Amino acid sequence: MVTRIEQLKRDLFAKTREISLERALLYTESHMLTEGEPIIIRRAKATANILNKVNISIRDGELIAGNRTIKPRSGIISPEMDPYWILKELDDFPTRPQDRFNISEEDKQIYLNELYPYWEKRSMKDFINKEIPSIVKDAESKAIFSINQTDKGQGHIIIDYPRLLENGIDNLIIQLSNLVKEHPDNHFYLAAKIVLEASQLHILRYADLADEMAKNCQNVERKKELEKISKISRNIAYHKPTDFYEACQLFWYINIILQYESNASSISLGRFDQYMWPFYQLSLAKDEDPAFLKTLLASLWIKCNDIVLLRSTSSARYFAGFPSGYTILLGGLNTIGHSAVNNLSTLCLNAYQEVCLPQPNLGVRVNELIDPQFLQKTAETIRLGTGIPQIFNDEVIVPAFLNRGVSLEDARDYSVVGCVELSIPGRTYGLHDIAMFNLLKVMEMTLYENEHNSNVTYESLFEQIKANIRYYVKLMIDGSNICDLGHRNWAPVPFLSSFVLDCIENGKDITEGGARYNFSGVQGIGIANLSDSLFALKGVVFDEKRVSFKELLQVLKNNFNGDEGQKIRARLINRFSKYGNDIDEVDNISVELLREYCKEVEKYSNPRNGHFVPGSYTVSAHVPLGAVVGATPDGRYSGEQLADGGLSPMLGQDMKGPTAVLKSVSKLDNYLLSNGTLLNVKFTPSTLENDSGLHKLANFLQAFSKLKLQHIQFNVVNAETLKAAQQRPQDYAGLVVRVAGYSAFFVELSKEIQDDIIRRTAHQL
Amino acid sequence: MISSDEQLINCNDQASCFNIELHQNHSSEIIQMSESSVARIFNIQRYSLNDGNGIRTVVFFKGCPHHCPWCANPESISRQSVVVKRKSKCIKCKFCCNDADECPSKALEKIGYDIQIDELINQILKDEIFFRTSGGGVTLSGGEVLLQAKFAYQLLKRLKQLGINTAIETAGDIRFSDFLSVASQCDEVLFDFKIMDQEKAMKTINLHLDRVLNNFRQLYHHNINLIPRLPLIPQYTLFENNVMKILSFLKEFNRIKVIHILPFHKFGESKYELIHQNYEMKDIAEPSPKEIDEIKKLIENHGYRVVNGG
Repeated sequence: MVTRIEQLKRDLFAKTREISLERALLYTESHMLTEGEPIIIRRAKATANILNKVNISIRDGELIAGNRTIKPRSGIISPEMDPYWILKELDDFPTRPQDRFNISEEDKQIYLNELYPYWEKRSMKDFINKEIPSIVKDAESKAIFSINQTDKGQGHIIIDYPRLLENGIDNLIIQLSNLVKEHPDNHFYLAAKIVLEASQLHILRYADLADEMAKNCQNVERKKELEKISKISRNIAYHKPTDFYEACQLFWYINIILQYESNASSISLGRFDQYMWPFYQLSLAKDEDPAFLKTLLASLWIKCNDIVLLRSTSSARYFAGFPSGYTILLGGLNTIGHSAVNNLSTLCLNAYQEVCLPQPNLGVRVNELIDPQFLQKTAETIRLGTGIPQIFNDEVIVPAFLNRGVSLEDARDYSVVGCVELSIPGRTYGLHDIAMFNLLKVMEMTLYENEHNSNVTYESLFEQIKANIRYYVKLMIDGSNICDLGHRNWAPVPFLSSFVLDCIENGKDITEGGARYNFSGVQGIGIANLSDSLFALKGVVFDEKRVSFKELLQVLKNNFNGDEGQKIRARLINRFSKYGNDIDEVDNISVELLREYCKEVEKYSNPRNGHFVPGSYTVSAHVPLGAVVGATPDGRYSGEQLADGGLSPMLGQDMKGPTAVLKSVSKLDNYLLSNGTLLNVKFTPSTLENDSGLHKLANFLQAFSKLKLQHIQFNVVNAETLKAAQQRPQDYAGLVVRVAGYSAFFVELSKEIQDDIIRRTAHQL
Repeated sequence: MISSDEQLINCNDQASCFNIELHQNHSSEIIQMSESSVARIFNIQRYSLNDGNGIRTVVFFKGCPHHCPWCANPESISRQSVVVKRKSKCIKCKFCCNDADECPSKALEKIGYDIQIDELINQILKDEIFFRTSGGGVTLSGGEVLLQAKFAYQLLKRLKQLGINTAIETAGDIRFSDFLSVASQCDEVLFDFKIMDQEKAMKTINLHLDRVLNNFRQLYHHNINLIPRLPLIPQYTLFENNVMKILSFLKEFNRIKVIHILPFHKFGESKYELIHQNYEMKDIAEPSPKEIDEIKKLIENHGYRVVNGG
């Protein structure tokens, strides 16, 4: 028999993804009627219009109701942000390289004839394009940095779930109604009240639907389930939840509503095991079956995969594979600094092991106090080889936030938005993914600026790179701040804001600076290639004097063409140490340049009176960011990808195994990278075999924690990876075969033996 | 995955290309280092998980008096550094420099180098934090580490003073006093048991079985923590009879509770080609999981805990 969970999973992925225009049409319909009103009121009314009219459904077998679209995994659009990319790509959605969607001919016509003509010249993008100075645009077009979220909602935020779950909607409406009376001129309060009231009605629509479906349902079991959904929905439309089921249901309805409001990536889920724990306990106290509670949780996990983000083709290259950003962090510390691990933390991992879908993207917070059993459970889940959970380190992240002026208690409560961006849940509007800065591109430009400088020295190059970093950081800040204003002027989010402290106290939307913490997070990318390039450049040109600086540039321009070019490339790759092998001389280049970047970034502030904070992660951006950089002195060909992750070594250059990688990364000043970092490490399954393998992984994580790295994610090497290594040995040069008393790299084995290892690996997984 | 062992040698008379080195090895008890502050090694492998407790750094010493046909590190046997050419890495320069220090692609690679004790300690300490969290440490392997016993003693002593967990992997065929000095600095001695027939052991792998067994006995009585390791090599050691001989020898040593088994694997094969030597094990199949399991059970039935792969 197929279990409910398996069936829900199958149904979700049964059909091709489509694009639904419903949200856009309802939003636009309302917007046309509210000309002249304040933008925040217009947004509220438009969202309310969606909530009142959008088609809703409860799918077969669902225990948790709430679907953003009738068809599973449909993409929705927000032409109010940027109608242009949609127009441009309308015909390409079904065939583009990444993240494909079907769209009907009829919908295409509707877009062309109704939506686009209305939003043309009225969108946030128009504002941003008009405001961004040409000097910033110019730098962007050279791909020195990219400004994100200029075409969709800002997202990258976690709401204050305790406020939602511990008050109930009625009480929140009463609070806002009083505030509206006290401050009749405050548009934010009014707007928030409009959407909250619409939310209540929206939830009641589900109750009615469940009732109606129950009435017509022949299956007795299902009928009961639908009646239960109705009963729960009616209760939580007004009151605070009284058990785990109700809490999960309210949690999900609100998430759907947040999606309608801003269609943003990464409206993340925060510390689920913390804010849900009281409700889980209530259910246990009522003697509810823990197996049923686990099924509820697994259902919820599946739901998180129903929301996909339709991105532009270029954005999808940076953020491939629909990372919708339902990130959750488990465990960690509580307000008074004790371990926060509870039974629900473990259950969340267990439910994941059952579902094994990419969302929610679970992470575990480790610290010196972590419960060994939970650490073991974490290691066991990692061993499944899906990259989940990722690991975050309290021992560096809490102090990193203290350095940003966050209170001790708030710092202990940190979680993650998007992929790895660090945020204080329910209290931060952090624009955590506002820009990416291509450090390697800056190096390349600096090299060519010196092409005709016959007095060039390594030291002068190094100083000029620093100066250029400072110069372009400023431009990136200018661009980011215009995007910030764009969201304030065009896309306030009153519903979301009403769940972010201290917006209610301040009477302001998050986009106006209502939140307690107001960061802007910008990522410095390319440090591995930067270290490797400069170290090799220094060695081959200035120390060994094998080629002149000018000659080397010529070789790079020619993309290592010809015998001599190949010889130089081989030398650059093989004869000079690389970042990621725990060698100070090369690692310290990045230490210094990344610190320069960080210290420069943190000088600047944004229009919300918050500070810019640096991070270093790429998601999939190492591919497009590499595409715009020519050949570099680390032996990288023109257009080839950069090192992945953010802090990871360049592909195939980590020859000394994962401990050396961690040591290299630990030399960076990870305390400064308070917007988040990303480190991928590959593991071969044989190293994780049986209990002793699991212990060693847990011990490895403890060392990770002591080394003050922020983040690590494990990709378990599987048969496919090994086949790729056969095809492209240079990319996997560091893959070690770990057997007692034996030393060799995988790529150095004979084809036969490699095939044999591949067979065994496939068998193991 | 599978594993086998570190020890090496191949004292096979037919292996003519080795003869010169063999003679050297026969004639000298230990290759005396002129200085005990320098070692000749061929690799330092961090994050090793199968060579003792926890996460370990394994130092592979160069040189071995034995010539086990199954050796997985044949490049370790000769005491001399050797330059090899990895064809897959070669970019075929018009004029080959023929110099491992100059070769741009590192296709020409020198196996074996000398390292000062201070430098080696620095390298080992790089993973100290991982040793601490995992109960790991350093393991000296080879080659036969005891050929460089003086150095090993100095090194281990200094590491012990720093609180680092220490182990060696050895075939144990060495003068007892040298062995004891090194073993006394070890938290663990991974001690190989191979061919249990005196004559065959000498003929096949140039091993003095009586001395090996005597060393084991004496070390045991000096309270050295010994872990017997059994390379399970088809046609050489993987006979019930051979294993029984080991078990019967071990019977008198009550403190021995754990035995490691190292099933034969062929991961070393491509290295033979690299150093232009014939791989005698080419046509010999790796033992099946069933065969390994039978041996495992046999040993367990004698009251030992068995660790596959160490």
